[in-house]
Amino acid sequence: MDASCRTLRRVAIGYFTVFLVVVLAVPGLTLALDWWSRGRLIGGMSPNFVMAAVGLYVFFFVIAIAAATLANAVEGRMLGGPGPGHDPDNGQRDQS
Amino acid sequence: MLVIVAGIAAVLRPRAASTLDFYLAGQRVGVATNACAICGDYFSAASFLGVAAAVYVSGLDGVWYATGFAAGFVPVLLFVAAPLRRFGEFSIPDFLGRRLESEKVRLAAVTVIQLIILSYLVPQAVGSGITWELLVGHGIAGLSPYATGVLFSTAAITALVALGGMRGTTWTQAVQFLLLLSAFIWLTIAVIGAGFNYPDAVAELTREPLGNPEHAGGQWRTATEPNRIEPGTPAYFGEPGARYGRLGQFALIITLIMGTAGLPHIMNRYFTSPTGTAARMTTVWVLGLAGLFYTLAVLLGTAARTIIADAADELPWLDALTVHGVLRVPEHAPLVLGRIYGGELGLGFIATGALVAVMSTIAGLLLASAASWGHDVYERHLNPRATQRQAVWAGRIAVAVVALLSAVIAVSLRPDSLGALLPSMVATMVTWAFALAGSALTPVFLLAIWWPRTTATGAIAGMSTGAAAAMAMFAAGTFADDSGLREMLLTPTVVAAPLAVVVTIVVSRHTSTPVNLESLWLRLHGTAADRHITRLARLTVAGVTPRRARATRHDGTRGRMGKGERHE
Repeated sequence: MDASCRTLRRVAIGYFTVFLVVVLAVPGLTLALDWWSRGRLIGGMSPNFVMAAVGLYVFFFVIAIAAATLANAVEGRMLGGPGPGHDPDNGQRDQS
Repeated sequence: MLVIVAGIAAVLRPRAASTLDFYLAGQRVGVATNACAICGDYFSAASFLGVAAAVYVSGLDGVWYATGFAAGFVPVLLFVAAPLRRFGEFSIPDFLGRRLESEKVRLAAVTVIQLIILSYLVPQAVGSGITWELLVGHGIAGLSPYATGVLFSTAAITALVALGGMRGTTWTQAVQFLLLLSAFIWLTIAVIGAGFNYPDAVAELTREPLGNPEHAGGQWRTATEPNRIEPGTPAYFGEPGARYGRLGQFALIITLIMGTAGLPHIMNRYFTSPTGTAARMTTVWVLGLAGLFYTLAVLLGTAARTIIADAADELPWLDALTVHGVLRVPEHAPLVLGRIYGGELGLGFIATGALVAVMSTIAGLLLASAASWGHDVYERHLNPRATQRQAVWAGRIAVAVVALLSAVIAVSLRPDSLGALLPSMVATMVTWAFALAGSALTPVFLLAIWWPRTTATGAIAGMSTGAAAAMAMFAAGTFADDSGLREMLLTPTVVAAPLAVVVTIVVSRHTSTPVNLESLWLRLHGTAADRHITRLARLTVAGVTPRRARATRHDGTRGRMGKGERHE
């Protein structure tokens, strides 16, 4: 179980780092790129506005699905899946 | 709506009077139901009225409230949801107390949690007062409309929570969320159907400098917002700088991201999931629903800015609410849009949504408060031999006392007296609760879940440091003159949380871990109980009776569950 805990911690920290970099990049780019806040991407919306008003929510949902799927898979493989006949010792389905 | 909600609470009230039913709905709440209930719990007046108001008054900088409120669930999913549920318990203090095997930690956490709950409850009550003032316009029994709204909503939801407990509250919150979402969807369809073009509106609003009403010298006038990123220039709706300077942009988002994982009413909901995996998947659903909800809230804040300005000349009733076509109280934005597109019925629908948002969040906060007073203080310390019935009644009494206290504080605050100081008062006040949660509780919570060396003494030191630093920074921020320093001090998590982490780690390294650390760790991160519950559920669905299922589990030749447990 210690190995699975360490793996899950690595997965969580990895995804959190990606999440934090993307979220902080949105206001961060304002300070670096004039176009980010004053350019026009969709109609009168700047790339900054589009990301803050819509894009980040899509990103949160996608990263949530990816992280949850990976965490569930790690637990299933390392600790045993919930399905009937799953053998946690060899990680394979037992059809018996 | 209130009658429907009361009916649900009455039908689903915990008849057995057990604390497991009253606080955790028997731990049998499904993924979709729990996700809707969490959204109902989480989307408060700050989300329903405050986000649109913040966008209305600050443009792009106001959007960060919505982004931060939604973003907070990503760390919850990654670090908290599954292990928290697997460990179980009734509340955050209960979790920390048992994980660190210390009653002192439990009591320290109760103190911090009560502060967070009160900080969160007061703006909800303020939101209900504002809504009543606009919807009904008159008070009852000599009270002002604002005070009547505060007292009515608090009294109604207190009765529902005391009657329905967590089971009744779960279903009412899920229904309430669906009502909130349908209110926003209706308003969005109405606005877009009337010709509102979102990208064009942002372009139009960004052509002129952003101006907002201010009350000075006994008169209302419109003042241009200064750009806090580029001093000396005006702020524009579609560009950053109307509300936050360079540092403030980051401080707000980090405060909101860190705060969600420390909100007791939200974290308590995870204990109601049947398994850790279900808790994790519930958070995925929450993120999807939150994305939809906040996208619409931002759109409506933008729509209100253009539509109300255009309608102000044609609709005389807007004169009392606006200054040069801009609302004096920005929280009125969704309500005014509702009246423009649906008349009195539309206003009633949106106002009902606002009251429901307030009430569902008050319900969750009161239940979290009841769990920490009733279970962590009464059952554990005041009356350890309490019967289940006595413990449930202790929780009900705690609900009434905390509700009364928050209502009294809210009545003493007048929204228009603080309006000039805080652009969206409801959203700003809720941010204080997030700052306290993210500074005092989340750092200790994350370390207790993922760092086995965390000790009780370290946790108490970390919580105390985080809470003290956050409150000291609030106090200093209130009096700071420099706007950059002020916004930084008013969103203190970016400093207070790392401080709490460092103190917890340093103190933990010099003190002893719990004696039963290995079994505690297994309980926190092991999945045996999850597999057990999932397998029983599958057998039940397949038509195998519980007795047969138990027999199967004890059968050595087919006992996969047993092998799984040994494997861990």
